[in-house]
This record gives sequence, C-alpha cells and structure tokens, in this order.
Amino acid sequence: MSAMIEVRALVKEYGPVRALNGVSFTVWAGEWIAIMGPSGSGKTTLVNILGGLDTPSSGRVAVSGAEISSLTEAELARYRAEQVGFVFQQFHLVPYLNALENVMLAQYFHSMADEREAAEALRRVGLGERLEHLPSQLSGGEQQRVAIARAVINDPKIILADEPTGNLDEANERIILSLFQELHRSGQTLLVVTHDPSIAQLADRRIELAHGRLARISAAPMEEENGPLTALSRPAGASW
Amino acid sequence: MFWRIERRLLGASRGRLAVVLLALASGGTIITALVNLELDTSRKLTREFRAFGANVILSAREQPAIRVPTEGVLDASVVARIPSEWEGQRVAAVPFLYLIAQAKPIVSPSQADPSDSVAALSPTMLVVAGTRLAGLPQVAPGWKTVRGLMGSVPQGESVRSAARSPEACLVGTRAAQHLGVIPGDELLLSAGGLQESCAVEATLTAGGPEDDQVLVPLGAAQKLAGLPGRASLVQVSVPGTGAAVDRFLARLSAGLPDVAVRPVRQFTEAEALLYARIHNLLLGIVAVVGLLTVLCVMTAMATLSLERARDVGLMKMLGGPISRILRLFLVEAGTLGLVGGALGTLMGMALSAWVGRRVFGVGAAPRWEIVPFTLSLMVMMAVAGAFPLRLLARVKPAAIFRGEA
Repeated sequence: MSAMIEVRALVKEYGPVRALNGVSFTVWAGEWIAIMGPSGSGKTTLVNILGGLDTPSSGRVAVSGAEISSLTEAELARYRAEQVGFVFQQFHLVPYLNALENVMLAQYFHSMADEREAAEALRRVGLGERLEHLPSQLSGGEQQRVAIARAVINDPKIILADEPTGNLDEANERIILSLFQELHRSGQTLLVVTHDPSIAQLADRRIELAHGRLARISAAPMEEENGPLTALSRPAGASW
Repeated sequence: MFWRIERRLLGASRGRLAVVLLALASGGTIITALVNLELDTSRKLTREFRAFGANVILSAREQPAIRVPTEGVLDASVVARIPSEWEGQRVAAVPFLYLIAQAKPIVSPSQADPSDSVAALSPTMLVVAGTRLAGLPQVAPGWKTVRGLMGSVPQGESVRSAARSPEACLVGTRAAQHLGVIPGDELLLSAGGLQESCAVEATLTAGGPEDDQVLVPLGAAQKLAGLPGRASLVQVSVPGTGAAVDRFLARLSAGLPDVAVRPVRQFTEAEALLYARIHNLLLGIVAVVGLLTVLCVMTAMATLSLERARDVGLMKMLGGPISRILRLFLVEAGTLGLVGGALGTLMGMALSAWVGRRVFGVGAAPRWEIVPFTLSLMVMMAVAGAFPLRLLARVKPAAIFRGEA
C-alpha cells in the first residue's frame, strides 16, 4: 500500500491560538480514516489544510507524494479541483443551481461539464428523479447525496467529509454512510470528521485530536462490529 | 456551462440586479439623450439655426452693402450664377434692392377719418426694400407675420407673400403704425418722380430695421428706383458647417470676381462660441451622470458581493480559479450594462427628440452612430461599478465555512 497523505509536524495558528500543534500521521491509499475529537480540537482545521482550503503555519503535508503546504493559491485551486472531493455538514450547495448543475459546476472547474456524466453520478446516489430540483426543494439527506455526487464526479484521490451526517436524521445517515462504504469498497481514500463513535467504527483507523495535538491513532474495530451498518440498504435507485 | 451559470446568476438576484439595471438604463437614457442632442445641436446650429438669417452677402465690389439705389448696385441676374445646392444641401439666394421713397396710404373718401392717424395725411419717407417676397422664409425665416389678410400666412409664422397680386407688399410693424395702414389698405410709393402703388398683404416684425420698411416685389422696387434688373445685394443662406460655408465662399468668390462675397462673420463666430459652450456643458453633464451611475451600480453591487461571498467560497472550494469565478460576475455585469445600455439608448433617443422639440421646435433626429458608443460606455460603467465583486477574489473558503465572512 502506498502513502496517500503524509502529515509531518503540522502547525496551524490563528493569531495567538494554535489550532494544530505538531500533528503527524500517514494515510494509506484506499483507507477510511475517522478523525475524532472534541469541539475545538482542530479536526476541521486539519481537514481544511488537507483539502487545500487553508495553509499551515508550519509543517509539511504531502498528498500522493506532492507537497501541498507550499502551493500558490492558483496551484491550490488546481489541487482542490483535481485531487479532493469535499462533503460538509452544511452541504454547501449553490442555492440557485439545481442538483444536476451543482454537480456540473465541479466538472466545469475541473475541466469541462458533462451533463450525461453528472446525471449518472446523481442516479448512482439515488437522485435520478431529482436532477432539476433546486437545493431548497430537496431534503437534507438528498442535498447531502448531491454533495457526495459532486465530491466524486471528478474522481478525486481523497474525499474529505466534515461531519457529513451531522444534520441528518437516522434514516438519511444510514443512506449516506452506505454510500461512503461503497466508495471505500471501490478503493476511495476517505477522511471523515465525526463525533459519532458508531460512524468511526466503520473506518479503518481513527485519528483522535485533542487541543490541536494528535491524541491517538487507533485501528478500527473488527469488521463484524460493523455488522448493523454494513447491512444498510442502499438508497432507492442507488448503485455504485 | 458558463452561460448556464450566468443565466442562473441573473435569475438568482433579480431584485438587486433590477436596481443595477434601472441605474444603468437611467444613466444610459440621460447620456444618450445628451450626446444625441450634442451631436444634433451641431446640425441645428448649421441648418435649423439658419432661421436667424442669411450667412453670406453678395454686393457690388468696392461699394457699401446698403446704399441709396443709384449707386453700389449689382446685376440681379447674379442670383442665377449662385449654386442652388452645396455639398448636398439646398442653398437659398434672394436679391434685395433698397431705396428711399415717400409712402402714403391711399384712402378713399368713404374711408377717410382724420382721427385715424395724423401721419396718414402726409407722405412719409422710409426705406422700401424690393425683394422676392415668396423667398423670404429661406433667408429671413425669423421675420414673422403680425397681422395678415384672411387666408394669408397666419400670425407668428415666417412672413412671406401669398403673391395673390404682383402689387402686394409687406409692411414692417412700426412703419405700418406710422403710416396708419393695416392689411387690405393700399400704399402709394413715390421716388424721383416715379410712382408705384401696392396692397398691404401683411404687417411683419423682424426685430430690426425691417420693422420700419416696406417690402415690395423686386420688380416694383426696380421700377420705382429706375434700376431695372439691378439689386443692392443678394442674401444667401448656406446650410452646413463653418468649413462648408468657407468652401462655398471660396468657390463663389472665384466664380464671381466682379462681386463682393462676404460671410456674416459675427453670426458664425457667435454660433461657434454658443456651440462650444453647449458642447462643454453637455460633456460635463454626461461625465457627472456617468459617475453617478457608476456609484449607483457600485452600491448595489457592494450589497450583492456580501450575498455572494459564500458562493464564491464554495466555487473556490471546488477548485474554481478566481479569474474564472470573477469572469462570471463581470460578464453578468457586462450583460446588465448591455441590456441597460440598450434600454437607455432607446429611451434616450425618445427623450432627446422630446427635448429637441421643446428647445428647438424640431425633434432631435436619432444619431444611430452613438449607439455603439453608448452601449460600450454602459458596459464599461457596469464593469467598473462591479468593482466590489472583484474584491470577492480575497474570499477565503475556509473563513467562509467557519462563518467568519
């Protein structure tokens, strides 16, 4: 297995506040990592830096062997377009674009929009009948599925998800996690920020942060512990 | 995809964009109207303003322009040698023969009423101008009818003879008052033992010495003066710019070496000064309106940029290069500029036509060559007004998602 992400002595300071303080770890290609920790522990900051949305104060971050901590803004934009897919708790869809266009927007910034391919991505997450719906016309779970379709449309190297089920009810949470499991099975590298231990159980490993420091890296529980979740049914019409 | 997003952007902030569109259309309307008027003023000054009178005078060489008829006259046939058209515009030329004559109303015994006018009882010396009465509107459209016979030129209109009879004459208001005549009366004119009578067709006001004159047909004046086929001067009205008039003068001087050809310089210079002032005033107003329009657009765009900060953060998160994201907003602003400019151009043309009618009495003709200018200007103003949206380039997606911006 090759190293997909290498983080070394990562520090991020916001004025006097040190959000990340010397964090180091490695993520292997195809791994599902759960990032855990209490509020203010630096989880979101870590995801933002890994996703090229923020830059570290010091330390080193390499993705697929390429150093990203020293990239220019334009290079970071390219990195985000080509190598990262984001899924957020708040979905972050463009409100005036419909589901299809939200997915096509990611294609547009990556290379060129392909309506057929975008529609296919939405069908895979069970939204084949909702292509023309605006985010305001979709439920929370459906919006998150649009966000997942958007995140994977450009075939990124890593998916970064920040509390992806934080705003969802249990039924929708199961659907989203089922999609993540399918992505994982297809070999996608996933880093998922979560407070929920039951979600963390699905991951290969857990990275726990506390006060900006790496508190613990632990292997995920045995596969059989994931029984109830792996048995989740896919959303209607979804297929990965 | 670009235009798909553009369409959605335009539909998403309809309220704010309507304000921007309104500002651009209003600015475009005023700018178009003023620029159209500015251009049309030039035309008005060189064409419609000919209403103030002729701008070229032909007279006998080495002689004063207006003298007693026995000297300084020229051959009236010189009119036929003046081009009837110059650079595509019609040229009007009307000969005048001036003489001093005695005038006396012819009063029938039944009409006699000594109380009417003391002056009417004795002849009055005055200037008689012989001319082609029907051609007066072409060289002196500012001369207006005060009172005319039934069926003649209405009051306030440019005076001209209806030429119902070859003996018709027009009398200046002060002369008519002095002689005690009204339209329908007859006048007896005598000079050097010769006599001519004429029927007063109308009284006129010119605001000048013509108010003290009697205007008779050229032939009658020539008979009275004993100068058949002669004229004191020829008034010529040449439409066109100052340069065109200068070219006409050069051509005419060369073609008529025995005639003194002079421009009415005072009028030309006053015209140039007036035009320069109007030009500067209109340009100043256009600049101020343009500035105000940009400020209005900028204010609306500043509010819009706050609303769009999250969208920009989102697009940046998806890897959108800032140049590509800003292009979306600038094209949106440019589109608004184009639409606002088009609306403004149409409304501005209508406004300038209305203002032209109010100011010049003639609607300003649409100058379609200004359309590209106005559209380009409005697009530039819209893009300049979209400056706050360009500040969105500084948006940090992480800060947006943290709720810091």
